[in-house]
Amino acid sequence: MIVSDVVCPFCGCLCDDLELEVEGDRVVRVQNGCSLAEATFMHDTRLPTPIRRTKSGWEDISYDEAIKETADILREADRPLLYGWSSTHGEAQSVGVHIAELIGAVIDNTSTVCHGPSILAIQEVGHPGCTLGQVKNRADVIIYWGCNPIEAHPRHMSRYTTYATGFFVPDAQLERTVIVVDTRRNDTTGIADEFLQVEPGGDYAVLSALRAIVRGKDAVIPKKVAGITKEQLIRVAELCKKAKFGAIFFGLGLTMSRGKYKNIRNAIELTDELSRHTKFVISPMRGHGNVYGSNEVFTWMTGYPFAVDFARGIAFYNPGETTAVDILRREECDAALIVASDPGANFPRAAAAHLAKIPTVVIDPHVNATTALSRIHIPCTAAGIDAAGTAYRMDGVPIRLKKVIERGYPDDAEILKKIYDLLNGGMGP
Amino acid sequence: MKCILNTGRTVPQGAAVEHKGSDTYRAVTSSCFVNPVDMMMLGIENGARLRITTPVGYVVLSARSAEGVTRGEIFVTIGPYANHIISSETHGTGMPDFKSQSVEVEPTEEPILSVGELMEEIGGLRYDRQ
Repeated sequence: MIVSDVVCPFCGCLCDDLELEVEGDRVVRVQNGCSLAEATFMHDTRLPTPIRRTKSGWEDISYDEAIKETADILREADRPLLYGWSSTHGEAQSVGVHIAELIGAVIDNTSTVCHGPSILAIQEVGHPGCTLGQVKNRADVIIYWGCNPIEAHPRHMSRYTTYATGFFVPDAQLERTVIVVDTRRNDTTGIADEFLQVEPGGDYAVLSALRAIVRGKDAVIPKKVAGITKEQLIRVAELCKKAKFGAIFFGLGLTMSRGKYKNIRNAIELTDELSRHTKFVISPMRGHGNVYGSNEVFTWMTGYPFAVDFARGIAFYNPGETTAVDILRREECDAALIVASDPGANFPRAAAAHLAKIPTVVIDPHVNATTALSRIHIPCTAAGIDAAGTAYRMDGVPIRLKKVIERGYPDDAEILKKIYDLLNGGMGP
Repeated sequence: MKCILNTGRTVPQGAAVEHKGSDTYRAVTSSCFVNPVDMMMLGIENGARLRITTPVGYVVLSARSAEGVTRGEIFVTIGPYANHIISSETHGTGMPDFKSQSVEVEPTEEPILSVGELMEEIGGLRYDRQ
């Protein structure tokens, strides 16, 4: 059977033009998708049944037993942490927030180690952004700063920027100028019209230099700024000022390097500066398929996009204190529920190590590094493969994920609802 | 040799991300990309093992020559190997120094651990039934 207009749930691009060939409970062919989409749909190996760690190994347990024990762990905890949420749908995320509120937990999502700093900067100075459709149809200057779309978002360039034919940009490859800023040369820098190779940790200085040049203060710029010549900086500033419509996309090269959210603030202020000459927008390259959705769901339910602490009975938000890595590093939480993510692989050593010291429950379709650190792992559906639900694209557009096959697993939202019911004496959220 | 550790995503990492016990994932995330001149200074060839040390601990990785990486920098694909040596300090932002951790790089003969072994080093127990 052929299923068309399928949404790939892997990365923040949420490409919605895939065509899948399905045979029974397997996807046998993926058309239009990148290699990440092919791996997502065609090599989807699951944990077959819930498992519990014993003294010497692992034992299979029933869903009912796993759900009851999870509820017991969360009920008995003084400071539980509910973390993850970015690879599942909004329906599961919202139940997670309800559980956090009910038991006074800290709930955080993967943007905490991704674009959390971008959110902090946006809270300081705002977000002059737009949808990817506007970029596709209008942008003639594209800047990729500290991101590598060829590796991390393989179809971003062909669907929205460098190679995409737009209404006002009919000959994309001729009409779009691509500027890439990175510390190292890679496949993305290879197709750039201008490549600015910045020294590690030098992004803030380069952004400040560009702001000064756009303001007409180029006399104050030294001959080189963080490894980039003044001549190139002036050339790039001129390219940007002459753009009809410019779009800056930035990645973890800005959020994770020295300066963190201050880098993003400076990039947004450069966008503001450029918009005094022409139209410029800026947007983060969101990683996980529905990480933007976790920010949306958390925000409309609690007022805050991540790192929400319900210990006081009301929502409290203080990144650096209520963020997952900090809570784990301080060995503050005494139980953890990890949903649709893998902090075992993606958190620094000490933070991951604390998960092994406390009762940790994983709800995720796949065996991952966190499985080894957990007490219980409950397998579930994968949103966009065998479960339908709502996800948000990296530009904030909600897209309905399709259920393309049935594999006999329960939806994670259903598992979470059962846990909520047990914690709330049989009353649902 | 003192270096700055940079991390990031790659297509093979993304394709193997839901197969963390696989040889592919292990090979992709335990590769350490080094500038050719730094490789020469370290006296190593492609495939040689490197011991990368920080105040948090050390990890053994497989060296790969990469001209795109600048001298004094090493690049490791995002994953449990890089995170094994990254500090949990977030400087009040929630975000660790995933792209600016100072490291000491030296050749070694020690073996490269599997993802399961890395998790067992921090108190876990690998699950390898598939």
